[in-house]
Amino acid sequence: MKGLNLALGAAGLAAFLLLGEAVPRLGLVKDAYFPPTSRIAGALGDELADSAFWTALGDTLTGWAVGLAVAACAGVVAGVVISVVPYLREATASTIEFLRPIPSVALIPLAVLLYGTELRSVLLLVVYASFWQILIQTLYGVQDVDPVAEETARSYGLGTWARIRYVLWPTALPYVMTGLRLAAAVALILTITAELVIGAPGLGARIAVAQTSQAVPDMYALIVVTGVLGLLINVGARSVERRALAWHQSVRGEVAV
Amino acid sequence: MRRLLAGLVAGSFLLTTAACGSSDDSGSSGKASSSGGVTTVKLGLIPIVDVAPIHLGQKQGIYEKHGLKLTISTAQGGAAIVPGVVSGQFQFGFSNVTSLMVAQSNNVPVKAVVNGIASTGVKDKDFAALMVKKGSPITSPEQLEGKRVAVNTLKNINETAVRESVRKAGGDPDKVKLIELPFDQMPAALDQGQIDAACVVEPATASIRSQGGVEIASPLVDIAPDLTVAMYFTSQRYAQQNPEVVKKFQEATAESLAYAEAHPDEARAVVTTYTKIPAAVLEQVVLPKWPAEANRASIEALMKLGEQDGLFKTTPDLDKLLP
Repeated sequence: MKGLNLALGAAGLAAFLLLGEAVPRLGLVKDAYFPPTSRIAGALGDELADSAFWTALGDTLTGWAVGLAVAACAGVVAGVVISVVPYLREATASTIEFLRPIPSVALIPLAVLLYGTELRSVLLLVVYASFWQILIQTLYGVQDVDPVAEETARSYGLGTWARIRYVLWPTALPYVMTGLRLAAAVALILTITAELVIGAPGLGARIAVAQTSQAVPDMYALIVVTGVLGLLINVGARSVERRALAWHQSVRGEVAV
Repeated sequence: MRRLLAGLVAGSFLLTTAACGSSDDSGSSGKASSSGGVTTVKLGLIPIVDVAPIHLGQKQGIYEKHGLKLTISTAQGGAAIVPGVVSGQFQFGFSNVTSLMVAQSNNVPVKAVVNGIASTGVKDKDFAALMVKKGSPITSPEQLEGKRVAVNTLKNINETAVRESVRKAGGDPDKVKLIELPFDQMPAALDQGQIDAACVVEPATASIRSQGGVEIASPLVDIAPDLTVAMYFTSQRYAQQNPEVVKKFQEATAESLAYAEAHPDEARAVVTTYTKIPAAVLEQVVLPKWPAEANRASIEALMKLGEQDGLFKTTPDLDKLLP
């Protein structure tokens, strides 16, 4: 079954690549603006051989990883604190609902004003966007704690810390992992966007330079790289999720007795 | 797992504190750092042909000779550079003259320090061109009345330029439909007929030429002969506090401009180090002029046209703006 899925996936990709080759070659779109797959592959090869490309890739991954790590820690800690401290959830709910929908991209002028075109302005956007994903999931996760389990833990005399560790955290973890997976994708999108718009060093800035230089195949090659990066990040996030939740019934795949 | 999580938490707290720490360091260093007589200055530049002299000057050690070390950051446009310079993230930036005049008329504290680029001043052989598609019935700017013309930014230098070209040819500039479009998208838009004409600069000019596009006017030449198009600038505060650094930057840049002007092949070669312009296109690119001095008369002409077109809230004070 798994083999069949893999084969189908590969066939779908191959068909897509063939379509990308055929459409410009048949003259349906101008190949100057939409180069065929083979020419993009050639440009991709040139990119891979260029050390500046790897530096840019490193910059992008640094922005992504640092931003995601900061957002994850801040989101989890804030989520637990907001849920555990009485009345805090009610007091912050409207503020969170106000701040959350602000598109991170709208903060670009602020980021430039504060930090110029450096990594820090990328981080501001990445952390802002991915923080909410994790915070909201953590809040839901903590809310999902079984009152019976919570009361039982209290009856057995478990302290606050022990209850967070043994009751709250295992309940919230599946939610947090979902938040982390969503945030990982959002963080990549925002890293590339920030680089593209602000010009901070990284793949995004390289795409922008290729674009203004009229180097169309290079631009597409770099876009393909960001796509592959997104794919890898998703696969990675899923495997982290599976490992962290190996004990959970959703992963174990059997009904708890 | 637990240990991993603990590690992750600790690691990211360290990172956050490190990030905060470094932001304190450079946050307070609006001034450039200097050591052993060499001052490090940060520049915000757009990755385009125009700034080749800076890259060339750096490569040739001209800035080093004047006691300056450059850190060049690329930014995608003036929108990122002007706030960066005003807030002290960059000491110097690159911007077109109209943007600087607009900034000054809005009380943004900018100060132009040294010339950037000038138009070649030669009709049909400028780096900027008003172009139409191959086979277009439009042959002269006054025929653009009622037509769609793309400029990269509305209410800026290229709008002034297109309007002046139409006006000079005897047309009514108010009847032209100006559309905002990034330079790099103009060749495709023109080719597909989404626009009737485009005011483009290199390397898009070369792209359109290679598609058989026809130049119907040289809009920057129409504004004034030898128009100063863009300049390097700093913030008024930085200029007041660091007059020696500004002076060094002026001298070194003037020397770099002269060097680039005298060695166009080297300038062309250095462009490949910071852009991805394909070699075949780069050969066709018309380089701008890089005079060491800004042309005040041409800037006055540009300002008059800008005022006529309602670009400024108040009249820019050129004595305060220009070096």
